[in-house]
Amino acid sequence: MRFYVPDHKLFISGLLAVLGSFLLSGCGGAEKDPAIGNGETVSYSQTSRIRGLDPASAGEVSSSLAIARIYEGLLEYDYLARPYKVVPLLAESMPEVSADGLTYTFKIRKGIYFQDDPCFLDGKGRELVAEDFAYSIKRVADVKNVSSGFWAYNRRIKGINIFHEASMKPEPSDYDMDVEGLHVVDSHTLEIVLTEPYPQLLYVLAMHYAFAVPREAVEFYGNKFVNHPVGTGPYKLVEWRRNSRIEFVRNPKWAETGRIETYPETGTLEQKAAGLLKDAGKPIPFIDRVVQYVVDDTSTSWMMFLSGQLGSSIISPDNWDVVVTPDKSLNESLEQRGIELISSPYTAVYYMGFNWDDAMVGESDDSGQDLRNRKLRQALSCAYEFDLMNQFMNNRYYPIDGPIPTPLAGCLEKPSPYRYNLDKARKLLAEAGYPEGIDSKTGRRLELSVEMGSADTNTRQSMELMADMFQKIGVVLKANYNTWPAFIEKMNRRQGQLFRLAWVADYPDAENFLQLFYSKNESPGPNHSNYRNAEIDRFYEQIRTMQDSPERTEIYEKMANIIVEDSPWIFMFQPMSFALKHSWVENYLPHDYPYGMGKYRRINSEVRQKWIESYGDVKLNMSGRN
Amino acid sequence: MNMERNQSLWGDAWQRLKKNRIAMACLSLVVLFTVLAVYGEVLYRYHDIKDTTPAYQNTDLDMAFKAPSSKHWMGTDGLGRDVMARLVQGVSIAYKVGIITSLIAIPIGVFFGCIAGYFGGKVDDFVVWLYSTFASMPGLLFILAIAMVVGKGLLGIYLGIGLTTWVGICRLMRGEVIKHKGQTYVLAAQALGLSSGRIIFRHILPNVMHVIIVTFTLRFPAAVGTEVFLSFLGIGVQDQPSWGLMINSARMRLWQGIWWEMTFVTLAVFLLVLAFNLLGDALRDALDPRLND
Repeated sequence: MRFYVPDHKLFISGLLAVLGSFLLSGCGGAEKDPAIGNGETVSYSQTSRIRGLDPASAGEVSSSLAIARIYEGLLEYDYLARPYKVVPLLAESMPEVSADGLTYTFKIRKGIYFQDDPCFLDGKGRELVAEDFAYSIKRVADVKNVSSGFWAYNRRIKGINIFHEASMKPEPSDYDMDVEGLHVVDSHTLEIVLTEPYPQLLYVLAMHYAFAVPREAVEFYGNKFVNHPVGTGPYKLVEWRRNSRIEFVRNPKWAETGRIETYPETGTLEQKAAGLLKDAGKPIPFIDRVVQYVVDDTSTSWMMFLSGQLGSSIISPDNWDVVVTPDKSLNESLEQRGIELISSPYTAVYYMGFNWDDAMVGESDDSGQDLRNRKLRQALSCAYEFDLMNQFMNNRYYPIDGPIPTPLAGCLEKPSPYRYNLDKARKLLAEAGYPEGIDSKTGRRLELSVEMGSADTNTRQSMELMADMFQKIGVVLKANYNTWPAFIEKMNRRQGQLFRLAWVADYPDAENFLQLFYSKNESPGPNHSNYRNAEIDRFYEQIRTMQDSPERTEIYEKMANIIVEDSPWIFMFQPMSFALKHSWVENYLPHDYPYGMGKYRRINSEVRQKWIESYGDVKLNMSGRN
Repeated sequence: MNMERNQSLWGDAWQRLKKNRIAMACLSLVVLFTVLAVYGEVLYRYHDIKDTTPAYQNTDLDMAFKAPSSKHWMGTDGLGRDVMARLVQGVSIAYKVGIITSLIAIPIGVFFGCIAGYFGGKVDDFVVWLYSTFASMPGLLFILAIAMVVGKGLLGIYLGIGLTTWVGICRLMRGEVIKHKGQTYVLAAQALGLSSGRIIFRHILPNVMHVIIVTFTLRFPAAVGTEVFLSFLGIGVQDQPSWGLMINSARMRLWQGIWWEMTFVTLAVFLLVLAFNLLGDALRDALDPRLND
């Protein structure tokens, strides 16, 4: 699940993630919906189209969010902790890891039950056992399920590939077949055995590819299983009208079996000040019913949001100027009504990479030339003016000083020595052999070309801006606009001098970003700069199998510093995610991995009621000119 | 009267054109555009030779989206660049496209039209087959295919438009040549034993020149229009200020009342196309010997 995303697309997906992380809410009072009882807390929100509710086959954000309401995994992300970390959910505690890092032993909580469903004997949900996890992981490896998640286990779990290959046969896959790495010790103990250390396994186990699915349901519903989710989670599905409406209700099994989950009790002081801890220790979920609508038309959803029918909204590009003022605060008339603008940096890095194969900007066999090329890269880094780029994009960016984005452990706190500084850029450029940008060999200005993966207006204008930044130190930048497939083709063939790309975190571990500098990952792998540095390679091989520890973070920082000094990339920015929410949506904190976080949200029904009743009394200034 | 009768076809046409006020207005507009195009090209070449970045490429975000004022007559765009300066550069791009595509399309069309009309038979069959084949291909797809092969940018546009638009003139030329083939001056030339090439290109061609001129004036704005929308779609001009690109970037903000870039560029396209079309019509009338009296 790695993304190379053209900028505008990434921006949208960033918003989607934020949208997803809302479990927006409201109160049922004003709705004329007979199914909703009095006094129930109901959350009304928007969702993108949901394709299916099978944890093994789902892939897109909207389905994953819906699945995470119904199903649960061994681990989940902590709601409040930053940097992100995983905590036990269906596991009793974090797993015991063997000294060689190859065996993970999970104790599974007792007294967890699946929801009642006709697929079980006499319709009563049974207790969760270790076998359910082994079964669920096998389902992801089963070729017949066309899972988008097999990469997470491929060649990592011992014996999973044997099962994978066996499932390619035409006859039904044999789930009784033993997989060596998925060892059920007893009914509540699961041992996962790996082929090599894989500390990121913990993050993978928090994804829906590892959620517990009861075998009875899969066999009972057959290919209708995507419509009949049966899980252990805080909600169960009431009704799903494809591409229109989906409704969940609090899972009654929790109360029946006495299962109690609580809101996290520890948070930072800022979180406390923001009121995020007032529910600390209280039983979740707070919302009784969740109703989500698929609204394709952005202006319709925007009107629904304004009138209080939806608890939150993304900000569509068409509305941006109206909603957000140039200094990144909210339109005054919206702010006065209590609407809040939520923004947070998205764990991704946008960068302009240099091709290490290129004689001018890359590596050279001649050590003097090599040093000069490095100075050129540093000079160009110094010529890049973040503030200007940010101004152009309506302040939607967040500065970044190295290869590791905030809030990941290992991200550099101090500003990079190659931040915007024209004098330094000119000096470095002269030392690189291009005084005033003049290439002494040709007597003309140095000309560089950058490959782009799209040609839309935004991309084009941002490159024109970039060309103007370089022009200030006398360097000419020519942009080549490619289609996305053509661009990827060029990248894979190691063509191009400079290029612009982005990397979005798969999991909150800097390893995910540092692998982009590992020489064995060079194109067509994700290291499209074809960056080669023996020291980085050595460090990377060391940290790849290391558990999270202060020592590992220290190595991360060391690597980041070496990379900044070598400047194989110009670190351009980290995008911000933006969304709006009404004041009645409480306990809201943006989360990069929002799956299952809805259970922590709360709705203040009275506030919502007031908004709905008073909506229209005061005209909102929506002209976009304050 | 006698003086006029003795004038050449061109002098005659000019006399008639002069009487047409609209045509003269269009002609002066065309001259104005031509001057701007030459100016833009000279500016571009000058900066290219001096190895400097021209002013119309300089960005200044503090000046973004400024309405027309005495400093910027046509306002500024999203990167704070002067719309008028870019508009003028756009004229030179438009002209280049119009002229170069005509230089590609017209010789091809004229050559095939002439030989098909003159020789008839198998040659004619072949040419008719060829242009029918070309005409049956959707033009836009063909242009896209060419742009994909030679890469985005002006070269793709030149070839794309040039290689697809010769069909019309080829048909016209074929018809004209067939008409002239039976005339006495051609029969006389044949009786004198002149070579076919000489008869076609030295004797017939000058007599059908007016068709080419008219086609050119009608071909030109069409090519400009095609360039604008190809650039608008992002497969045309890449890093020079083209009208298509300007319209594309202006449309995003139009609903917010940032009207100037869109308005002035559209107006420029409109005037250029209109002027050439009206002029072409007037020229056709002026050059048509049947209207001679």
